[in-house]
Amino acid sequence: MFNFIVRRLLQIPVVMLVLSIMIVGLTQLLTPEQRAAPYIRTEQQAARIEQIIESRGLRDSFPVQYGRWLSSTLQGDLGYSRASGDDVIDTIRERLPATIELTILTAIPIMLIGIWLGTLAALHKDKFLDQVIRVFVVFGYSLPTFVLGILLLAVFYAYFNVLPGAGQVSVLNQFALGDLRRYTGMLSIDAMLNGRWDIAWDVIRHMILPALTLITVLSAQIVKVMRNNMLEALTSDYVRTARAKGLSDRVVNGKHARRNALLSIITLAGFLIIGLLGGSLITETIFAYPGVGQWVVQAALQTDLAAVLGFAMMSAVVVVVVSTIVDILYGVVDPRVRFD
Amino acid sequence: MKKLAILSTLLVASTAFAAAPKDTLVYQWSSDIPTLDPAATYDTGSGAIVENLYETLLTYKGASISQLEGLLGTKWTVSNAGKTYTFDLRKNVKFHSGNAMTCTDAEYSFERMLVTNEGSSANYIIAESLLGTGANANDDKTITWARIDRAVECNSAGQLVFTLPKTDPTFLARLAYTGFAVVDSKYAIGLGEWSGKEADWKAWVGKDLTNSKLDKAPSGTGAYKFVREDANAFLATAFDGYWGKKPALKNVIFQRVDEIAARQQAFLRGDADIIEGGGRATDTAQLKGKPGVTWVDDLPNVAATALFMNQNITDKGTLGSGKLDGKGIPANFFSDVNVRRAFSYAFNYQQYITDFQKGAGKQRTTLMPDTFPGYDAKVKKYTYNRAQATAYFKKAWGGQVWKNGFVLTAFYRDGSAAAQTIAEILKREVEAINPKFKVNVSAKQWSEMVASGNEGKNPLISIGWAPDFADADNFMYTFYSSNGYYAKRSSWKDASVDKWLEQTRATTNTAERNRLYSLVANRAYEQASHILIPAGVNYSFFRDTIVGAGKANYNPMISFTLGTYWKELSKK
Repeated sequence: MFNFIVRRLLQIPVVMLVLSIMIVGLTQLLTPEQRAAPYIRTEQQAARIEQIIESRGLRDSFPVQYGRWLSSTLQGDLGYSRASGDDVIDTIRERLPATIELTILTAIPIMLIGIWLGTLAALHKDKFLDQVIRVFVVFGYSLPTFVLGILLLAVFYAYFNVLPGAGQVSVLNQFALGDLRRYTGMLSIDAMLNGRWDIAWDVIRHMILPALTLITVLSAQIVKVMRNNMLEALTSDYVRTARAKGLSDRVVNGKHARRNALLSIITLAGFLIIGLLGGSLITETIFAYPGVGQWVVQAALQTDLAAVLGFAMMSAVVVVVVSTIVDILYGVVDPRVRFD
Repeated sequence: MKKLAILSTLLVASTAFAAAPKDTLVYQWSSDIPTLDPAATYDTGSGAIVENLYETLLTYKGASISQLEGLLGTKWTVSNAGKTYTFDLRKNVKFHSGNAMTCTDAEYSFERMLVTNEGSSANYIIAESLLGTGANANDDKTITWARIDRAVECNSAGQLVFTLPKTDPTFLARLAYTGFAVVDSKYAIGLGEWSGKEADWKAWVGKDLTNSKLDKAPSGTGAYKFVREDANAFLATAFDGYWGKKPALKNVIFQRVDEIAARQQAFLRGDADIIEGGGRATDTAQLKGKPGVTWVDDLPNVAATALFMNQNITDKGTLGSGKLDGKGIPANFFSDVNVRRAFSYAFNYQQYITDFQKGAGKQRTTLMPDTFPGYDAKVKKYTYNRAQATAYFKKAWGGQVWKNGFVLTAFYRDGSAAAQTIAEILKREVEAINPKFKVNVSAKQWSEMVASGNEGKNPLISIGWAPDFADADNFMYTFYSSNGYYAKRSSWKDASVDKWLEQTRATTNTAERNRLYSLVANRAYEQASHILIPAGVNYSFFRDTIVGAGKANYNPMISFTLGTYWKELSKK
């Protein structure tokens, strides 16, 4: 197990290197003028495009440009993001905790709701409850995130005013944030550690609508897979054997069928968590939630190369780490899987 | 069910119903704030904030764009045939850091602009006046430390002295630009910015200050001081040590909310005092007339847009056959004044105003704002007239255009609905005149458009210009001079116009300059140099609790959406 983890962690720099060569290489398909575009916001600046290209070495050869990026990256400098108006490394440091916070709030409900509804649907196959759950799945699958997000804002914020609107914290608490000592970067947790339960509650309330959006959309995927897995498991030989042994429905369904059905759910959950940690692009944008997803949307729209590269590096680490955890969990759930 | 009821009760009970507090201005927008360093400020997002944290020597008097008044400069004299400007600086001014402002700070600030002068900054504007060139020392080897040092100095009386290489009637207007603010030199040097000395000036030439130490921790003399900036919010608070009248609003918060629907909901609920709108049509439909909303219309627009008819198209790929044979155009197709007049009469100005600008548009006589000194309303303007267009097309190129027809491409900036509409209106109208006329409409990316424009590759393209400083020169020279920034877009060259425009730069006599601008405008009409696109009428809207905003206080040269500084606003 230890060797397996070390091997996996050693993959990180290799993945990052390949990824960075690919991304920087792809950007060479753009002309120097196109790569200078992020620095130009006005006609007046456009007049000086040549100076902008020159001062940033955008006409240098690919090895020179890549070497420059790699050299500064190895010194811990991922460059400056035009989209955030800050260093890439500082932007990730500031925004990733917010994304992790939202992930923590959403990942567990997504899994629990998905597994529960998927199991229920399978156990009541073709009955009324199954039909209702299938409608929910279709709803979650087909409703675009931005439509659902705006709809939730309109209902819970604009109409009933029971939940706050966009943002991470209310205006009244904005100035107080500066006095908070930051431990984790996760605002709700840091507020609790500072004894500011009012701010913590405010932050959590601001997360409810984005979380609800993500839970609705993503749990639908788990429900669908879980339902199919359960249906397959319920017709398998080992379940039939368990029933023949006179075991109760609860034991058969829960211990024998559901445990096996969960195997592929672990993989799916891994992908979902990777997705959530990479930032929920549309949800974060709609709710003005200051995570990495919102930033990367802005960066992509501005052809912010430093930000895109930085985000890719961060994603590479997330993918390798989460995949490793998923594989280890696989070994725990299924003893047939061995790593060493 | 019971649990759900308890949860709902809890949510309702804990709802803050947080309308924006009375002492706080809440603004929601979708822009980023690239920098808080004045020497790198060259966009509206940064400008809207920097103009309130920092102060310039001069500013606009109320809503006027022709009258300047002292801000950090209290008095100034002009001598040496308009080449020396001596400023008395305001006394007892403190920076947010607590340091007192002295002439050394002002000298340092301007020298820092001239030394760095990075390509995407606005510093070239001040360099043009003070050094006679917009370049920095890397691009122009004749720029030495001695030249920079001589341009801005403090005299023994503590006055700031600017020495220009030649007369520049636009100099004072340039000084009002947000980015040319006074920074706290002691504080900046302490942070690790340029030392202000000759020893390390070379190392700072061309340096991009967007992400400078001052960007992270600004310290100006403005009525508001920086508190904090995070991923989605910028916070400022009233500066207790401000030299002027204490601002009524204690706090200002800019919240970044990209989604227009979310901004609108916050605005209608009163959680935001002001928001960035979604364009006239959207804002009129969604917000105008709603409870609690104040709508101000008929505000001045200081941008100008033109359709450029390029008289020397350098991209053969856009010329088709390259001949007047009905399958293309020659590179100098627009060099015939009859073609240009025909196109000018063919554009349906009123339709653009009615359909695209929703009736809120205005035709101008010249490519400059009608509120600028030097604008001549008496100059004739083209109107949509199909008969006249036909007549000129028949005259063009000795009748060849009418007989053989043509195929040309009109480009527009990808994503610009206005530019696309302009191109499509022109296409429809021109093609309706003669079935042999064909206008293809094609989108270009911004960067591609810039590059091709600089090389004179686009046959027909619409481009706008927003001013850096409130002087006619910023438009007239840009659009009409063969040495102006847009010269290559149209390749239009008129010896008289060039001469008149150079004369406007050599005199500080306002009446004489205005006379010369009228001559230029009349000549441009006569020669149909460009197609003048109607200018949209500006508007603004805000919560009715806001006091101090409105038409009387709206200055279009101020970046903040209400056209006023935050210190002028209060809430009831």
